[in-house]
Amino acid sequence: MSNLPPELKEKLEAQISHSEHPREQVINIMYALQKHYGYLSDEAVRQAATLLDMNPLEIEELATFYDFIYRQPVGKFVIHVCDGLVCWMFHEGSVFDYLCKKLGVCAGEVTADGLFTVLPTACLGYCDHAPAMLINGVFYGSLTPEKIDDILEKLRREFCDLIICR
Amino acid sequence: MAEQVLLLNRQTDRPLSFDEYRKSGGYEALMATLGSRTPAEVRQIVLDSGLRGRGGAGFPTGRKWSFIGKEHPRYLVPNTDEMEPGTFKDRVLVNVNPHLVLEGIILSAYAISAAKGIFFIRPSYEMDAELIERELAVAREARLLGNNILGSDFSFDLLVHRSAGRYICGEATAQVNAIMGRRPHPNKEVHMTDEGLWGKPTIVNNVETLACVPHILQKGPEWFKALARSHGGAGTKLYCVSGRVTRPGCYELPIGTPLCEIIAEAGGLSPGSELKAFLPGGASTSFMPKKFLEVEMDFEPLKATGNRLGTGAIIVFDQNTCLVGATLNLINYFARESCGFCTPCREGLPFIRDLLRRLENGEGKEEFIPMLKQMAHHMSKAYCAFAPGAASPLLGLLNHFEAEIQEHISQRQCPLKSLE
Amino acid sequence: MPTLIIDHQKISVPEGTKVIEAAEKLGIMIPRFCYHPALGSLGACRMCAVKFLEGPVKGVEMSCMTDAADGMVVSTTDPEAVEFRRYVIEWLMLNHPHDCPVCDEGGQCLLQDETVSGGHGLRRYQGLKRTYEDQYLGEFVQHEMNRCIHCWRCRRFYQDFAGYLDYGAMQNGNRMYFGRFEPGPLESPFAGNIIDLCPTGVLTDKPARYQGRRWDFQRGPALCLHCSLGCNLVGNARYRQMIRMEGRFNDAVNGYFICDRGRFGFAYANHPDRPRKARVGEKEVSLAEALQTAAQRLAQISDQYGSGAVAGWGSPRSSLETLGALQWLSRRQGWAEPRFFPHPSLERQVKVAISRLETGIAVSLRDLEKSDFILVAGADPVNEAPMLALALRQAWRRGATVAVIDPRPVFLPFEFEYLPVSPGVIDLCLDLLSKAALSADAAEGRLDPEAAGFYRLLTDEYPENPVSQDRLAALGRKLAECRNPVIVCNTDIVRDTTPGRAADHVRLLKAAKGRAGLFYLLPGPNAFGAAMLSAPEAVDLVEAIENGSVKALLIVENDPFRSYPDRERLTRALDNLELLVVLDYLPSATVARAQVFLPTATVFEKEFSHYVNQEGRLQQTAPLHQSGTPISQVGGGTHPPRTFLEFIPGGEPRPAAEILTALADALTEGEGDPAEGDLWGWLSRQHEAFHRLAALPEVEPDAGVRLLPEEGAVGAFSPEPWTKPGEPPTGQLELLLVDQTFGTEELAGYSAYIQKVEEEPHLLLHADLAADLGLAAGDLVALHLPGGEVTVRLKTALRMAPLVAILPRHRRLDWQKVYGWPTWIAPDRIKKL
Repeated sequence: MSNLPPELKEKLEAQISHSEHPREQVINIMYALQKHYGYLSDEAVRQAATLLDMNPLEIEELATFYDFIYRQPVGKFVIHVCDGLVCWMFHEGSVFDYLCKKLGVCAGEVTADGLFTVLPTACLGYCDHAPAMLINGVFYGSLTPEKIDDILEKLRREFCDLIICR
Repeated sequence: MAEQVLLLNRQTDRPLSFDEYRKSGGYEALMATLGSRTPAEVRQIVLDSGLRGRGGAGFPTGRKWSFIGKEHPRYLVPNTDEMEPGTFKDRVLVNVNPHLVLEGIILSAYAISAAKGIFFIRPSYEMDAELIERELAVAREARLLGNNILGSDFSFDLLVHRSAGRYICGEATAQVNAIMGRRPHPNKEVHMTDEGLWGKPTIVNNVETLACVPHILQKGPEWFKALARSHGGAGTKLYCVSGRVTRPGCYELPIGTPLCEIIAEAGGLSPGSELKAFLPGGASTSFMPKKFLEVEMDFEPLKATGNRLGTGAIIVFDQNTCLVGATLNLINYFARESCGFCTPCREGLPFIRDLLRRLENGEGKEEFIPMLKQMAHHMSKAYCAFAPGAASPLLGLLNHFEAEIQEHISQRQCPLKSLE
Repeated sequence: MPTLIIDHQKISVPEGTKVIEAAEKLGIMIPRFCYHPALGSLGACRMCAVKFLEGPVKGVEMSCMTDAADGMVVSTTDPEAVEFRRYVIEWLMLNHPHDCPVCDEGGQCLLQDETVSGGHGLRRYQGLKRTYEDQYLGEFVQHEMNRCIHCWRCRRFYQDFAGYLDYGAMQNGNRMYFGRFEPGPLESPFAGNIIDLCPTGVLTDKPARYQGRRWDFQRGPALCLHCSLGCNLVGNARYRQMIRMEGRFNDAVNGYFICDRGRFGFAYANHPDRPRKARVGEKEVSLAEALQTAAQRLAQISDQYGSGAVAGWGSPRSSLETLGALQWLSRRQGWAEPRFFPHPSLERQVKVAISRLETGIAVSLRDLEKSDFILVAGADPVNEAPMLALALRQAWRRGATVAVIDPRPVFLPFEFEYLPVSPGVIDLCLDLLSKAALSADAAEGRLDPEAAGFYRLLTDEYPENPVSQDRLAALGRKLAECRNPVIVCNTDIVRDTTPGRAADHVRLLKAAKGRAGLFYLLPGPNAFGAAMLSAPEAVDLVEAIENGSVKALLIVENDPFRSYPDRERLTRALDNLELLVVLDYLPSATVARAQVFLPTATVFEKEFSHYVNQEGRLQQTAPLHQSGTPISQVGGGTHPPRTFLEFIPGGEPRPAAEILTALADALTEGEGDPAEGDLWGWLSRQHEAFHRLAALPEVEPDAGVRLLPEEGAVGAFSPEPWTKPGEPPTGQLELLLVDQTFGTEELAGYSAYIQKVEEEPHLLLHADLAADLGLAAGDLVALHLPGGEVTVRLKTALRMAPLVAILPRHRRLDWQKVYGWPTWIAPDRIKKL
């Protein structure tokens, strides 16, 4: 099992030791390791367990419960497509299907260039701009196929250092 | 436009800054209260104001606070989990005026003598989490947060806790479990006000609720009550309007405003759309037909119709939307978000989903209807309020729109598909 | 005491009783899955719904979540409740696979029962069932997740009740999965209980897989013989083979649960090499012939050397029947008094221990759960008597402080105070703790004169060992505040003085607080009974052989090659014996050496057997089948030979008591009266406790009965003055021979299932000491003991006493190379290979 880079390890250890209740940091630690590894791999789960003095199973019980913790590899940009009620009403031929076809992947898969993963999520809280999607913490609403194409192109080109799944 | 309280001075594309908020009277309520009122007095004022929780349950806030246990430290947990479909008011509020929210939190913490606050926020609102963190630092520097706030004996600090994303985290006991690093299953055996977060007295309040507090303290409970349109109501309400309306968005109106007026505020139905049904308060409420268009959007009036105000998130459906499909979409959402603890929710919702899918695909049978009715009814005996909420739209469909179900069965397909 | 009506029947119950429990008292079993009396109410399954017609609660609610209250009127048959329950079972069965024909749970499956009783018969759900992949969970528990109804019992037991964290609930919604992070053996030594708890066939007994259904088995109440706690089991036999054990409820001893050693250790009874035929020398003979030969040769020794030259040697794994018969026979023949322990010092310690127990201070395993301060002196529960660890955890869950004073790196599945001290310092620690805790009571004159006198004599010198004064003082303060303390004391590894000293301290604490408890761990399932029957003077039989006073040994269900500390000396002695007659059911080294061998039956065969556990509780274990080679072995793996026999193959073994009685007959050729049928009468004449038994009212045979003297019947403090343990020789390490959960207990060591999970034995040294010696964990070392060398791998720990070397009495290690206790070894006697 390889070690974490020392700075990251120190930062996380400090975060835990400064917390009055170390267990409160579980999700933050999972997010941080997810960011470092690209997804919450088995190794990341074990690292989290070591840092927090918990059993890997305890981490897994939490990691597999939540929507935004990825236990499988994901692309650099995780596209959470809203399939909630309002977005569903406005889909005109599902946004989700469009993205999957455009990128050539099924739900949860990673595109060949490692850039995108498409996941269905319900109600992002952007209902006034339906249909909407969330990519690495940024909302995109009032989607049309053309808009979607633009967004994907922009992401590909600019490779912005957006917030990666915190 | 109606008197704006929470969304006062709303800027179109950015949050109100700390200075802007101060200039328009921000934090004056805090300064006044810390000097002159005891926590008990604050609690009484809020109780008198008739403020009810805006997170969906509608429990009188002052009454909830009065149950706070005696031990210390106490915790205040502002709840921005907001995953109820159709609801985005908390996002809007935090983005419009983060400092109003903070002031509300600090005052509420004072009311219950809480030393710590845990701002719980859902992952898709990451931008807002960062906004709050930035503004927290500003408030701290101005000695409005931290030790000895404004030189008083009251110390309170707030940290942001990011959720990893599950609807059930919005439930108070589940949220507390989530904060403690446990699986966020609800726990009905624990009294939060006595033994909540880390076993200590805890209050969980929706951020819209908390944001009302500064104004109530500054202008008084009578002023707050007078804002309402409905008899017995109090204050304004942030109504989210989405669906087939011209201008979907978040509108602040007096609580108890009739629904048709709120829809008018949102520009009325989109061109070509005729109102078929609406959800008054988010996905955990029931579909209502046109005849309820003038219902006063407040807790008691909606309860009288057999429905709930919930979060006050209005979703408008037109003649082109299949309500069976809409119900299916909602049940699918709830089945996916189920925490898995109790049987009716974990297994019953997928069963209902399967029946609705068959109906939508034209494979529906007559006998599904009594099964759906019974199962929807039995959801009320699940462990927490999640399953009854999930069953609400289905009950609305069965009570008011059974004809649509019949059409699916008799036509052996979704009737709206045949129009395409 | 609230009074309520359930289904037209009235009942009054204690405050806090749930409606589901009240109903059970009326004989109404409300269906349930997640509710379990040991795990409490959860409210998850929704199966226990009933209709509340009157009272503070109205409508359909869960009976396990509702406290019984005055004026409640409950109906379990109300149509609304019945329909709701029918839906619940339909929902649970939505994804359930059609496995009944191949599922081991069939016939003892709560899900089957409640599907039928719930009124769900026809499948209305036409969708796909969700399926899972199964996980390898080790050799004991089979995993078949498709059957899961998510009742949460397994996780609640595994994590909440037992405190282990490598198994739990993952995912959410109806994809929820109960398992480990990755495939691998379950770490908890109590994992087998989830087999009993699982209401469907997700978790089943792996060794017993596919061997039968409940109705195929011969079942009966059994006892665990793998430590002195005496947990209750249900034994299952089929085709002359012991198939599986389940936990049996006993309110005083083990509650609902057992440990894995007890659950899977029984397979010694099926050992393929089990000696079933009597032998004279190398030749197999009939039992009758062997008896005659034995009798002749024993008589010959008596004639030649005097009857005192014959001695019987039993062990604490034998029943009262066996030990009693051996003693009766010995006395009848005028032989030397039989010994029942591997060596005299252990015998003395056990005798001291049992002499100090009386009704007023003895606590049972379940009583421990109610204590608020438990001091564990010289014991390592998980390794020695695992169910003790589980009981300690329940006490901790209720807020008790648990403190362990032991040299080993003790692990307990909860937080506890730990003082790493060598055995020689344990007495001192007890003294120092009491001194600190009761100083106020002593100063303010709250102790009676005897107790005050004892208190004054307590040591107050702090040992040089690394036990800080602060920690002892802090613990002492906690002890001062508690109201119901218990001292748990071992008879293994501790000094001779410690069991008595522990009893004295319990006396002292009781004088101060009005209430205190004493709990011993003893070396064997019937060590208490063996000590009760033993003659007052402890004698070393090996020494007696060496000095010529004993010429013949009758060894009954005992393997001194396993348990006697100096194997070479034992071998020499046995070489010089004129006659060795052995009775046993194990393929042991002693049996191999026997000149005459008589095969005995295990407790599962033929007759009832009685054992007395460490708390003085007399319990009985029932026979399950009539003995004989398991059919699966007779056939050599295929169908047994298709010939008819007039006897059961391998059916010669008899209960040891029966053989000994027959031996008596053979020895006296018809003279004298046979003891059969009057063994208990004879026993009652041997010991006061058995005599009292006769006077007791009818006792529920499955519950057991305590044999202890009444309160105050035993003397107050130790009559002999306490002698401070001597200083250890400078720089020397004390060798400690210890137990491990799997691998050291004799009977379980012959179980094929336990053998699979035994860990490799290691020599354990403190990490700093190892470093000083130039050794590291994992090194292969030669440990030079007084009697020879042991080759073993090294393990180190930081959290242990510094000057000890710990070696398990593992069946695969030749550890029997020590001369006595304590054994000191110089550190340089541990050399890297």
